[in-house]
Amino acid sequence: MDFDAIVVGSGITGGWAAKELTEAGLKVLMIERGREIRHQQDYTTEMKMPWDMPFRGHGDSDLFDRDYAVQRLNRHFTEFTQPHFVNDAQNPYQTGPDTRFTWFRSYQLGGRSLTWGRQTYRWSDYDFAANARDGQGTDWPIRYADIAPWYDKVESFIGVSGAKEGLKQLPDGQFQPPMALNVVETHVRAEIAKRWPERCLTVGRTANMTEGKPEEGRAPCQNRSICARGCSYGAYFSTQSSTLPAAMKTGNLTVITDAVVEALDYDPATRRVTGVRYIDTKTRTRKTARARMVFLNAGSFNSVHILLNSAPGGLANSSGVLGTHIMDHATTLSAAALMPGFEHHTTFGNRPTGIVIPRYCNMDQMDGIGHARGFSFQGGALQSTWTQGNRMAGIGAEYKEKLRHPGPWRMVLVGFSDCVPRATNRLTLDPVKTDAHGLPQLRVDFAFGKEEHAALAQAKAEAAEMLIAAGGKVLMGFDQPGPAGTAIHEMGGARMGHDPKTSVLNKWSQSHDIANLFVTDGAQMSSSACQNPSLTYMALTARAAHAAVGMLREGRI
Amino acid sequence: MPKMKSTMERREFLAGMALLMAVAPMAAHAKPAPSPYQPLLREVAQLVIPRSATPGAGEVGVGAFVLLALDHGLEGTRGFDHAAWLKTALGTGFLTQPLARRRSALAALDARAFAGDAAAKPWLAIKRLILLGYYTSETGGSKELQYVHVPGRYDPDLPLKPTDRAFSSDWTAVDFG
Repeated sequence: MDFDAIVVGSGITGGWAAKELTEAGLKVLMIERGREIRHQQDYTTEMKMPWDMPFRGHGDSDLFDRDYAVQRLNRHFTEFTQPHFVNDAQNPYQTGPDTRFTWFRSYQLGGRSLTWGRQTYRWSDYDFAANARDGQGTDWPIRYADIAPWYDKVESFIGVSGAKEGLKQLPDGQFQPPMALNVVETHVRAEIAKRWPERCLTVGRTANMTEGKPEEGRAPCQNRSICARGCSYGAYFSTQSSTLPAAMKTGNLTVITDAVVEALDYDPATRRVTGVRYIDTKTRTRKTARARMVFLNAGSFNSVHILLNSAPGGLANSSGVLGTHIMDHATTLSAAALMPGFEHHTTFGNRPTGIVIPRYCNMDQMDGIGHARGFSFQGGALQSTWTQGNRMAGIGAEYKEKLRHPGPWRMVLVGFSDCVPRATNRLTLDPVKTDAHGLPQLRVDFAFGKEEHAALAQAKAEAAEMLIAAGGKVLMGFDQPGPAGTAIHEMGGARMGHDPKTSVLNKWSQSHDIANLFVTDGAQMSSSACQNPSLTYMALTARAAHAAVGMLREGRI
Repeated sequence: MPKMKSTMERREFLAGMALLMAVAPMAAHAKPAPSPYQPLLREVAQLVIPRSATPGAGEVGVGAFVLLALDHGLEGTRGFDHAAWLKTALGTGFLTQPLARRRSALAALDARAFAGDAAAKPWLAIKRLILLGYYTSETGGSKELQYVHVPGRYDPDLPLKPTDRAFSSDWTAVDFG
């Protein structure tokens, strides 16, 4: 099997790499470790009601503890979505003695594009310049101007709804009409703006479409908010709904599923990768595929895993930093408050996004308390339903009558802090433990530092202040981050940088050491920002694919 | 098809088949072991959510669901026999007492649990399972409350009248409300 390019992984960035490379005329092989999931046909729980499910959507706790001990901690993991998450018992990983890391994974065609939170935010120069400004981590070799046109391209294609707010720290994009703030959120936005003009509460920019793309077989969002089951309307961006059909249309794409890539083949004479070695998990046989270049899009940690497993000490690792400086946003429930005064208001439909309050500190003035970077909030206002009964004493007719009607309005603000890149937060191969295929297990060592704790402490205090200013009664708030991995924004490990001595990739997401090797998923990230990273991964992937095609045509790789 | 002795038998058979068809594909592995606590849980569920304009929790099978859920450790119930505990907590003669006595005994247990009495704490998980069983049943979820699988739109501000029913399909509210 010989191809122009091999794309390892079929998730958010793998789909983009496949689309861009095939549309440029390259013959591409996409290799996915998990099973095939066909758009529409294979979303098996999408139309199920709770009473259709053995455990009513809540799931079998014994099964989840046994086989999904990590995945079940993901808030998107339910009995309905369980088919879209990995079996932890069959896919083990190791953590250091002081590390708590919940690694949420989806090993299937489409990867986590099926289960992602769909929040879609541009990064700004506050983010791309963060490492240079405070000296932590290595400087990004790109700035906002380098990526802005690629953001345009990606947003237009995947379909992003959002409101333009003219913020320097969260640049506007190519948006479809925004989803609506509900009555309470509209009130809170106004109250916050009155007292803190620099703080903007806006509706979450989300890859759920408010306008259809009939020419691509995609309908607008139906406001079900059960996205992670898979969406037959194609209303949110996933590989299946968006990039895969585009790549297939070219006639240039070959897809192999149930194939775990264990290593890249490297030819030291030419200093090129020649292809990949993979395990066909259905037949348990080892196979090889060859290509002129390789795009690693296996997911941040798994792309690093493949490089670590490809050569002693790691392939493409002359810098020695492969696996280091991994990050995940530190996140916690900063404040939850009752919002009285809206008892005669309600909503209809399930909006599949919340609100965001973008970063507002450490921008042009260093005003963070004990930290040098940013934090932001996501959350929203909602009205209680029957689950409020869990907290309510009483039985009988009166109790049933109370639960029959919508309960009080609440508003929650969840803080997300920038994560400082640190050499000590790193991935290695476990020296002893192997997985079902005999491959060394990945080991994660990770701890948040004083910067993240300081940011979340400030976030807690200011979330409460904002909700109180809007008339809320704060019920609770936390300043300690959940386990690392909770934000599901794990990134880094093959960072981009100017200097081959201190970084793995150059500004084209291309290995400094190996010209025909590109890593365009989250592994390439040099810093974390405090907003969701998937859009940036996609834009960098499209940008890298364009550059790679040019290099290939010029005979440089 | 087996021969039917009477129309009643035939009707029951068809109803049984319909039920089997409805649950068979996914629920085949999820049958609870036959439990001596079934009558107790059915009655307790019915006392928590009694019949109003819609059926009560006991009537729609929530007792059996709670036993299934306890069997599989839902709501952190593994490692402790909640059903046996409930029987002891309510007394052996509970089911033979008049309705008013049954109601007041359960209300007293509920009040103690919500007042923080550690000895009554297992009730909190049982109550959560009763609510889960009822409001995710077709009756509780779509007749007592409203269930809309495909809303098709989002209205951010509508007047709420005192008679308006909540939505069991408001997933954000279910998770965080």
